[in-house]
Parts: sequence; structure tokens; C-alpha cells
Amino acid sequence: MIEALLQTLLNGAASGGVYALVALGYTLVFSVLGVINFALGALFSLGGYLTYLLMGGPISANGGLPGWGLPFGLPFPLALLLGAALTGIASLGVERLAFAPLRRRNAEPLLYLITSLGAGLVLVNLLQMLMGAEGYAFPATALAGLPDAVVLGGARIRSVQVLLLAVCAAAVIALTLWLERSRSGRALKAVAEDATTARLLGINSDAMLRLAFLLSGALAGLGGGLIGVSISLPGPYVGIGYGLKGLAVLVLGGLGSVPGAIAGGLLMGLAEALVPGEASGWRDALAFAILFAVLLLRPTGLLGRRLLEKV
Amino acid sequence: MIDNGLLVQMLIGALLGVSVYLPLAAGQLSLATPAFYAVGGTLAALLSTTWPALGADADGSFPLASFLLELLLGGLLAGVLALLVGRLVLRLQGIYLAIATIALVEIVRVAILNLPFTGGAIGIFGIPQPFPTAVGYLLPALGLLALAGWVCQRLEVMPLGRAMAAIRNDELAASCMGIDTTRVKLTAFVLSAVLAGSTGALAAHFLNTWNARQGSFDTAVTMLAFVILGGSRSWLGPVLGGLLLTALPELLRPVGDGRLVLFGLVILLGPSVFPQGLITPGLLERLGRLGERAEREPQP
Amino acid sequence: MTMPPLLEVQDLTCHFGGLVALDRVSFAVQPGEIFGLIGPNGAGKTTLFNLISGVTTPTAGAVLWRGAPITGLPPHRLNRLGLARTFQNLRLFDGMTVLENLLVALQRRPRSGALAGLLASNSHHQAERQRQETAWQLLEELALGNLAEREAGTLAYGDRRRLEMARALATGPELLLLDEPAAGLNPSEKDDLCQLIVALRQRHQLTLMIIEHHVPLLMRLCDRMAVLDFGVRIALGSPEQVRRDPMVIEAYLGTGGAAP
Repeated sequence: MIEALLQTLLNGAASGGVYALVALGYTLVFSVLGVINFALGALFSLGGYLTYLLMGGPISANGGLPGWGLPFGLPFPLALLLGAALTGIASLGVERLAFAPLRRRNAEPLLYLITSLGAGLVLVNLLQMLMGAEGYAFPATALAGLPDAVVLGGARIRSVQVLLLAVCAAAVIALTLWLERSRSGRALKAVAEDATTARLLGINSDAMLRLAFLLSGALAGLGGGLIGVSISLPGPYVGIGYGLKGLAVLVLGGLGSVPGAIAGGLLMGLAEALVPGEASGWRDALAFAILFAVLLLRPTGLLGRRLLEKV
Repeated sequence: MIDNGLLVQMLIGALLGVSVYLPLAAGQLSLATPAFYAVGGTLAALLSTTWPALGADADGSFPLASFLLELLLGGLLAGVLALLVGRLVLRLQGIYLAIATIALVEIVRVAILNLPFTGGAIGIFGIPQPFPTAVGYLLPALGLLALAGWVCQRLEVMPLGRAMAAIRNDELAASCMGIDTTRVKLTAFVLSAVLAGSTGALAAHFLNTWNARQGSFDTAVTMLAFVILGGSRSWLGPVLGGLLLTALPELLRPVGDGRLVLFGLVILLGPSVFPQGLITPGLLERLGRLGERAEREPQP
Repeated sequence: MTMPPLLEVQDLTCHFGGLVALDRVSFAVQPGEIFGLIGPNGAGKTTLFNLISGVTTPTAGAVLWRGAPITGLPPHRLNRLGLARTFQNLRLFDGMTVLENLLVALQRRPRSGALAGLLASNSHHQAERQRQETAWQLLEELALGNLAEREAGTLAYGDRRRLEMARALATGPELLLLDEPAAGLNPSEKDDLCQLIVALRQRHQLTLMIIEHHVPLLMRLCDRMAVLDFGVRIALGSPEQVRRDPMVIEAYLGTGGAAP
């Protein structure tokens, strides 16, 4: 019994880690710009597909290009990192095309919502055009060298879940360390706290914004690659679901709070994992039911700051 | 090509746009419309296929009176749900409210997906038709839109409508001027839900099948795009936005696979090109002045 | 039996996290008087207004309206009781016209039902006419008549201030709280304001409570004043009494300001 519980908890933590990655992606942009980048789910999908492609995986594009693949195949870790990096660059593109024009005119926050949705739609449909709507399973060589499962404390855990957890943890730790310790990280935090003062201190807040978008996209792309290898890529819309759940985690943990995003992600993942198999259809609703309940009790999320309105 | 079927779909888009507009007119960013749309549609689908008293025929036809009844019931059920949920949800501000309503949409979607009598992923099909062809739906759809438009137009010159606008401008000040902001916001929310529910009932019959995918998050944000790109200052904006943006993917069919990419581009670039939407406050003002002049000018 | 004061605050206390904004402040405002509230920056004057008008809830203490407790009631309930206020930073409905700003405040004078409005019934039109009439009267009274159709957000500063007052008046209050009504006005405008306030008190049978930085203005205008410093009431009395109070002098001199 303990083994089953351990297995469940680890699975939950692994998927929670992915949720946390997405939520952190939202957090980075939100803390600097104050708006939510609704294209993040699409970037998640993009990361998954890029990782797959970089590993040499064949695509078929609705029968258009049967069996086409890149002439080389990178080992999974490299493909994952490169895929994430490329997704980060794509995210920069979203910033240039969608957000920058609005920022120049001081647009109201609602417009960013629409434009980032548009960007997400463009991305997802481009993916669909180029890759087709069918699902892709990562090449079996992805995890070559890793045993199928490991035995931890008597429980058999799929090693890919451990990998997921490890990578997420590493990413989260790296991000947190970077934000706290490095110059550019602290500069980003400064801009998030108070953009005007940061600028007066000589920090280039535009550059920080772009950095935020880059990292945000990379995190989402990382998540997509991880989900791709651990489950599969059911289609270009895979990221939308994770994007939504990530949004729920973002608000659950408190908008703009990094520890909140991490804690919220884990909480969400564990709660979902604990849903018994018979009710698995309801699992998707659980995240939102939890969010709903939390918002009603604590309108600013678990660790969010109360918004004080100046009268 | 814009055939009757597309026209009905465009009208449905316009109706849903107005539904999203109503809470926004009171300053509330609620994306709950798809949830109420789904509720209304599911009710109509269930009633018409499982309640013989409504008179569904073996050949798939359906009495007009029963259809209209379902429009009423769909709106009513959605309204009751909105009343129950609204009180809780409208305490939230800004983005939190938006996300809470997104959560509501997802919960309703999953509930409809998993409930035993709603047909699961396939949904309910073979929904009987009150009209033999699509053109029959034009009248009820236009009627519903006219009703919604009339209510919106009246609101502009009523205390309730002014209260909504006041809350949209500054909720705290509105409260200090004696407006029960919770009640006004709830009213807007319920009106929005009733409209969405009735529209759902209409759509269920029109589409002949109904499943959980009818009410989902991406439809929510698309409907918001109707309002923002159409113009959020008046109900005419979401009508125009709904009509155009629903027609667009169909009109782009000749382009082929890339049409949805183009559609996405329109939504991506729209806010930069039309930050106030198509029906801008300036345009409204000019239309208003034209109307006044027409009243004053002697009729030939 | 003597009438209870129109408004009374008893040991009103307000904590924001670790900060004590108000510490057991008490005083009463009598019907018909002009009551001033002064004190250095950060003394807690606006916080006090926020507590009285229901915008914030106190940590401790009570607010009484004609002897009955109203602590914690929401702003709209307080307004319906007869309490109206203006805001230091002006919170006009910028996207609405000047006239509409007033019509919003005149919602309940008289009320008309939603159904009547939807059906454009006679009762609705009658009520609308009355509301419009009252609105125009107020606009004339506050020299805003020629700006009726202008969007509030486009008005000049002085006009915005007057609109803010007109809107609060439109709710038909007995007690009007004015938060820094003279801010940004030049001396002649300040004089006009004084005359206006006195005229309004008489014409609308108002009791007024005014926060002001420009102390000489309040000295001329007020029947009584209270002085706050660091959230504590350090003086209460007629302007003459307050002017001579040593604690008040110290509070103002101590912060580098001129003695009142």
C-alpha cells in the first residue's frame, strides 16, 4: 500500500512540477508587465514538438510529408534544452509582434489578453499546418540507457517520472537562484517591484522584459518536451490544457509569487494524482474546483499579496 | 460563401458577443458565457431527446412551441445558475474574476463530459429540428438578438444602465453614490447568463448535436475578442465583432489550411490596429448626432 | 431631551498591518455645523473619512449616526442614510458626461423600477424628468451648466472639483464630507469655494465635515475643528481655541510647517 501511495505521490509531484514550470512562465511576464501571456500554452506545445523534431522524430503533416524528419537526431537531453531555448526565442517573437505594439500605445490590459490569444492561435495552427493534428510518441531511444523503472523505498516508479521531477526541480532551483543571486536576475526582480525606480537606477527595463519573455517561453517549452517524452504529444492543442492548469496554479499560488507558483503546482499535481482511477474523468475539473474554492476564501491566492487600493 | 447556415452561426456569434459584453458594461471581466451557453444547450438537447411530452417526432421534427419553451427554459436555468454562483464570484476583482469564471467554464465542461446522461465525449446527437432548413432559424435568432439589443439600448437611458457604467468607471465612487454595486453586477451577470443559455438552446437544435466541447475556454476568449475587436462601448460592437469574426474562418476557407493562422493573425493584430474596436466611442457619437439631426429635420 | 449629534466617532482605531493609522479618536459633529479636520501629512485624516464613509472598516471603535451604530456598513448603505463624500484624488466617472455623472447620483431621487425603464413606461419618464430637472438645478448652482454634455474626463481641474461636489450633493445628503476641496485652487478660487460652501450649507441644509491642508481657509469657515497628529486627536474646539493650543502649534512647527 505504501508503495502505491509513494508511486501516486511521485507521479503527482512530477506532473505538479510541470504545472509549476508553466505557472513560473506566467509569473515572470506577469511580474514585469502585469499582464498574463495567453500564448504560453501554445509555446508549451511548440517546445514539445521542437524537442521531438530535434531528436530526429519523423512527422507526417496529415500525410503531406510522410516520414520526414531532421537529418540528425540529438540525444534527448540536448534536444530538450535546445527545444526549450528555441521556444524561448519564439516567445521573444510573440513579444515583438503582439505585446510591443500595444505597449507603445499604453494599451489597456484587456487588449494584451486578446492579442496574446491571437498569438497562441497563430502558433497552434501553424503547428497543426506543419505537423498535422495526429499524435506523436517520442522515439524509444529517448531514454536509452535509463532503466524502465527504478525501485525507491520498495515502490516501482517509472524512471521517466523521476526524470521529470528531477528536471523540474533543477529548473526551478536554477531559476530561483538566478533571481536571487545574479545581477540580471535581481535586475529583473527590481523591475518587477517598481519599474520606474529600476529605470532610475539604470536598469534597462525593456531588456528585462524581453528576458522575462525569453525565460518564460523556455520554461514552457521545457514543460512541453518533458510531457512529450513522458506521455506523448497528442496534438498541437496539448499545451492549451497545460496552459489553463498553469493559469489555475498561477492564481492559486498568488499572482507574481515565485514560491506560490511552485507550491501551487505541487499542490495541484498531488491533488490530481490522489483522484482515484474511477473518477479520472473528473480529474481535469479538480484543478479548477480547487482554484475556485481558494479564490472564494482568499481572493488573492495562497501567497499573493493583498491588493491595497489607494483612496 | 455566406449561406443561411453561416448566417445563423454568425447571429449566434453576435448573441454570445452581447452576452460577454453585458458584465463588461458593468466593469466585470467575466468569461463565464460558454458555461451558460453549454448549460442551455445541454438542457435543450436533453429535453428534446428524452421528454416525449415535448412532441419530438420519429422523423426528427419538433414543434415550434416546444422549441420556444426550450429557449425560455435554457435561459432560465442559466440564470438560476448565475444567481447562485454570481454572488460568490463577483466579490473578486479584475483578473481574479476572469480566472474564476474560466475555472467555472472548465468545471461545467468536465461535468457535462462526465455526467452519465449527457452522452460523454460524443454528446447528444439527433436533436430534433423545429425547422426543416437553416433559414427557419434565422427568425428566432434575429428575434433573440433584437430582444437583447432592445434591452441593451434601454439600459443606456435607465438608472440600472447608468449604474453599470458608473461601476465600470469607478466602482468605489459608484458605491459611495448609493449604488448597491453587488446587486447591479449580479444583475448584469444574470442577464448575460440568460442570453447565453437561450442562445445555447437555439444552437443545440440548429447544430443537431451537442457535446461538452461547445463550451470551452478557447470559445470564451474568442467571444471576448468579438467584444474587444468589435468595440466595447456599446452593444453594437460585440454584434459586429461576433458577425465578422464568426464569418471570417468560413470566408477564409479558399485559403486552405492556413486560414486559421490568418484568423489568429487578425486577433493578434486587431488590438493594435483597432485599440478601441471597430465601433469606437467617436463613431457612436457621430451616429448619435446623425440620429438627433434626423429627428429634428422635417420629414419630406 | 437633547438631540444626539448627527455623527459621532467613538474610540475609532485603525491598524494597517503594523501601522497605527488612527488611535482611539473620538468627537461628535452637530447638525448644521461646519466641522474641520486638520493635521500634518499622514495624520490619518483621509483614513478617518474612509472609516466614516464605509470604505474601510475600523479595527476598533464605533461610528454613530444620530446615536445609532453604523460601523462597518457598506458605502452605499451609508449614502442612503444621508452621508456623502468627495475624494481627495477626485473619483469622477470620467467616461461619462457631466450630466450623466449627476444622473447616476440621482438614481434614487426619485427611484424608478427596472421593468418600468425597460418598457419605457410613463412612470419611468416622469422620474427621468424629475431627475433631469434636479440635475440641471445643481449644474446651474455650481456653474457647470454649459459643460453638461462634456465628458467628465475632459474638464479643467477647477470644474472637475466642482463636479465632484455637485455629484455628492446630488445624492441628497445631510452630512457632506469634503476631502481637501481647496487643493490646487488659487487664492481667489479658494475664496469662491468658501462662499460656495456657506451657500450650499444654507440652501441644502447641510452639515459639513472638511479636511483641508490650507488651514486659514478652515479657520474662516469652520464652527469647530479637530486636529489629528499621528493618528491621535490632539485638539478639539473652536478655531480660536485650536489656534492657541500648544500641542497643535508644536505639531505643526515640529514638522517644519508654519503654525496655523
